[in-house]
Amino acid sequence: MTHPDDLLADYVDGTLDEPRRADVDAHLHGCARCREEVRLAGAAEASLVELEDVPVPFGVTGPVVVEAGKRFEQRGKAWDRFRWAAGLAAAAALVLVVALNLGRGDQQNAAQPASASAGAGAAGGAAEAGAAADSNVPFLGVERQPNVSYDDAGIQALAVDASRAVASAEKAEGQPLAGAAVSPPPTPKSAEERFASAPRPRQCIEQSGLPTDSPRDVLVRLVEAKFEDQPAYIAVFAESPGAGQPADHVIVWAVSSQDCRILSTASQRVGQA
Amino acid sequence: MPEQPARDEDLVRRYLSGDRAAFAALVERHERRVYNLALRMTGREEDARDATQDAFLTVLRKLSSFRGEAAFTTWLHRVTVNACYDLLRKRQRAPLLGRGDDDLPAMEPPPAPDPADDSSLSLDVQQALMQVPEDFRAVMILHDVHDLRQEEVAAILGVPIGTVKSRLHRGRVALARAMGLSRDEPAKGEPADAPGTSEGTVSP
Repeated sequence: MTHPDDLLADYVDGTLDEPRRADVDAHLHGCARCREEVRLAGAAEASLVELEDVPVPFGVTGPVVVEAGKRFEQRGKAWDRFRWAAGLAAAAALVLVVALNLGRGDQQNAAQPASASAGAGAAGGAAEAGAAADSNVPFLGVERQPNVSYDDAGIQALAVDASRAVASAEKAEGQPLAGAAVSPPPTPKSAEERFASAPRPRQCIEQSGLPTDSPRDVLVRLVEAKFEDQPAYIAVFAESPGAGQPADHVIVWAVSSQDCRILSTASQRVGQA
Repeated sequence: MPEQPARDEDLVRRYLSGDRAAFAALVERHERRVYNLALRMTGREEDARDATQDAFLTVLRKLSSFRGEAAFTTWLHRVTVNACYDLLRKRQRAPLLGRGDDDLPAMEPPPAPDPADDSSLSLDVQQALMQVPEDFRAVMILHDVHDLRQEEVAAILGVPIGTVKSRLHRGRVALARAMGLSRDEPAKGEPADAPGTSEGTVSP
């Protein structure tokens, strides 16, 4: 007798179509071996379905996540060496970023009071942005946006905005200064000096593995907001590829302000936005 | 703003592009499934812990070569089953007697009772599972316990669907017999009732 072994699993599962189910039924009627197998398989299946998941014991996957972080740091270091290979960022251009930010009042609640000290000329456009270039890059300090939750698209938008501003300001740099009489208040240039006014974000961002004292990148903005509803610091840097070259990248990092993990990142090449 | 849960494949991409948290999210999402698959396959909590770690470390190591040709979950299941096979083989190779190492107990305890399933039924099922050859066990656990379709099981194990159907049926019959549910003891050596030995591992 030929047994329909290839159909019995589906027969037990109840997934056979009707004609084949009828064939198997007909066979079972006359075959004690297959009847017994179907009974046993059905009992086994019922027992297996009743098995319940157990929770994962503490500490099983933690080391793997730590390992994943280590690899990230190693990769990050290599990436840093590549990106911060040489040169000082052309920090000058970035004043325009501030000007743009001041123009967008909706999310920039914390930025508004600072606009007064940034100077009346700050919103005036690219020429004045260029005026501040060499010695003073206004920095608003920590912008507090407690009710704003960014996501990947949001920080990408920050990167795009900043890269556009950098591109415009680089174009304006070196042109005659229409607003030469306006002298914005002196502001710190290096990221290190800028972070000095924000010790807690600085500590957290350092802990995350990001550089806070590189002379080759410029902190453009530091926003205290949320990232995907987790409290976060969002740091926007402009980076130069080499000595004397203008910044050619803007990179944005979102770092958890609770445990200082890097939550996400975005970057934008200047001139491609 | 409204958030859709990220797809596994997107989390992989995010991790590879530098988002450290994305891997943690993948682990968090899948650890329960991986651990429970490993627990059913190996029958011991200690081995399940090791297999779970091995599986995720393999995933981490090979993540950059994951091309998304298979679904991430299919790949993760395959890696997990292979981690279990490896552990089971190591355990078989280790001599049961005369294990002289001071840092190891001379005899392993019997399979640890499942801490969260204290009913005698599930204990019996788990003990019986361990008597079914591992290739058959894997099919039953993936299909009957983890509720994966036969097609998914075939993709995970890299075998034709007919093989899944046949292992499923033979495995269930063997499991029921190991649980003592047989009315008549089968004749010893009856080939149709005794699943064969392992046919080997799943290609990674």
